[in-house]
Amino acid sequence: MQLISFRKSCIFATFLFTFLLFIAIASLFLVPNPKDILESITTAEMIYSIKLSIITSVISTFVVLVFSIPIGYSLSRFSFKGKNVVKSILDLPMAFPELVLGLALLILFGQTYIGKFLEYIGISVVFTKLGIVVAQVFTALPYGIRIIYSTFEEINPRYELVSRLLGYSELETFKNISLPLARNGLFASTIITFARCMGAFGAVLILAGGSYMNTEILPITLYLNISYGNIGMAITSGIVLIIISFLAILIFEKFEGRNSNSSKI
Amino acid sequence: MSFIKIDNLNIRLGNFHLKNCSLTVERGDYLIIIGPTGSGKSILLETIAGFYTPEKGKIFINGIDITNLPPEKRDMSIVYQDYMLFPNMTVFGNIAYGLKKKIKDKEKIKDEVNHIAKVLNIDHLLDRYPNTLSGGEMQRTAIARALVVKPKLLLMDEPFSALDVKTRSKLRSLVKNAIKEYNTTVLQITHDFEDIWSLANKVVVMKNGVMLQKGSLEEIFNKPSPNFVADFVGTNVLDAEIIGKDGDLTVLNVDNLTLYSYELDYNKHCNNGGYNKVKVSIRPENIVIENKNKDIYFKSERNERNERNVFIGKIKKIVNRGYIISLVVNVENIDFNVYITPNNIHSLNLKEGNEIYIIIKPENVRILYNSKNKIKN
Repeated sequence: MQLISFRKSCIFATFLFTFLLFIAIASLFLVPNPKDILESITTAEMIYSIKLSIITSVISTFVVLVFSIPIGYSLSRFSFKGKNVVKSILDLPMAFPELVLGLALLILFGQTYIGKFLEYIGISVVFTKLGIVVAQVFTALPYGIRIIYSTFEEINPRYELVSRLLGYSELETFKNISLPLARNGLFASTIITFARCMGAFGAVLILAGGSYMNTEILPITLYLNISYGNIGMAITSGIVLIIISFLAILIFEKFEGRNSNSSKI
Repeated sequence: MSFIKIDNLNIRLGNFHLKNCSLTVERGDYLIIIGPTGSGKSILLETIAGFYTPEKGKIFINGIDITNLPPEKRDMSIVYQDYMLFPNMTVFGNIAYGLKKKIKDKEKIKDEVNHIAKVLNIDHLLDRYPNTLSGGEMQRTAIARALVVKPKLLLMDEPFSALDVKTRSKLRSLVKNAIKEYNTTVLQITHDFEDIWSLANKVVVMKNGVMLQKGSLEEIFNKPSPNFVADFVGTNVLDAEIIGKDGDLTVLNVDNLTLYSYELDYNKHCNNGGYNKVKVSIRPENIVIENKNKDIYFKSERNERNERNVFIGKIKKIVNRGYIISLVVNVENIDFNVYITPNNIHSLNLKEGNEIYIIIKPENVRILYNSKNKIKN
């Protein structure tokens, strides 16, 4: 009896919060005039913003994957000095506000020798499109690493030992066995990273600046237009972001559902 | 020079310590390592495979030190209890995986795969993926993948324990044939004594990271080190005193019970007042049981045939171990472990508390010489 009421309470809490969230999201679609949205979505600013968001997010997602695969693998498979410290530092950006991350990156690329050296060789990060990518990469990297690390943790390392005893080197085994077995996790990581890059705001605003039709990605469009009082444009960028995130989560859930072995009571 | 020599191997993993393990394996040996869970068997196997780096000690194959070689240079292969078949490859792909590294000729690879698949009776499964196979089929594929590369040493970590009894027994005989055909040296871990009886020629008993005893089947089962090894392998080990000679037989006294053994050359060892306190071992499967009520002439017939070591005992405990029934039979305050088949227990209609005859052939009463009781030559 007690179990049933506990179960009902849990399910009630689930529905209550889902309902509130759904209403909040639905209001974004229901409140504005559809004509406004259609007009906003075809403006040069919005098209520029969507294009820039997608291009920078695709590049950032690629960069995140390139780094998070070896990082996730080494954290999962190898023992080395300072591993726990490295893990904590890599997780830090998930815990502190994006604005702080943006500020830290601004100082790194603006005030330190690293930034000055990059400027010297012609690579400008601060207030440029490259800055958007850098901010997105630093924001999304901890999430990418987390998923890939968990994926490799779930793969029994004995598969790799079998392969190595059959004559394949560490790299060949990684390529032939570990990577194919991690395929689903890599896919999940790609989706989540991409969604995270699309939604990155605070760090992008501080490092790349929120300049109109220059470093303007969708969250910046929302921010700039709400500042000007242009609600139609702000809502439209919000809707586009939600649709992209929703599609990403939908794909992710589909993948999760297909691979989940957990039993349900 | 031994084919494989493990010299004083030490490895520390967290709180676990594998201590001073030394072992020699000859070409063609089938060595089985047994021991309770947590005794370090798998760690030893994976250290030999190159998965762990030992803290101390060396591993040699054919006299070549391979201690620091990466796994891919060791010329070994491994079979795990949970198969570890690559799920992204078919049965053919799994078996051919190691061959592709060694042979470039695709036709030759195909021939080799087909051959081993036939030997292990999985030639009809080559296009299937591992998730569509039964446990026995998966394990045969894993064994084929390991054997087809003709490794110098095949390592097997409880290869049959995830399978049902019937499949296990079938697979054992298939593996036996395959190993014979490929002339492979094997080092296997098991909890199942059936594996030892049907496959091994050498046995190592481990506990808490230490090798307690190593030797032939005869040595381990008939002459186990007293206490843990004897207990673990189920052998009855009793304190005895050599009290005399009767023809070819040595007469022993075990707590006022007279036992006869063929083991000892009495004249050679005992005539000059040598050490006469020894331990004797009797394998539980070498003790025969007869129903006391079945035949009232039983004992006199036996005596007429001059049979020795016939005692009346009382069944204290009956434990069903699946393919074998284990009895504890008390004979004049001495407990004997006895193994019989499930068929026997039904035909003899045995129950706890029943009185029965136990018969032990003198050749099955083995005298152990530990260092303390060693008989001087």
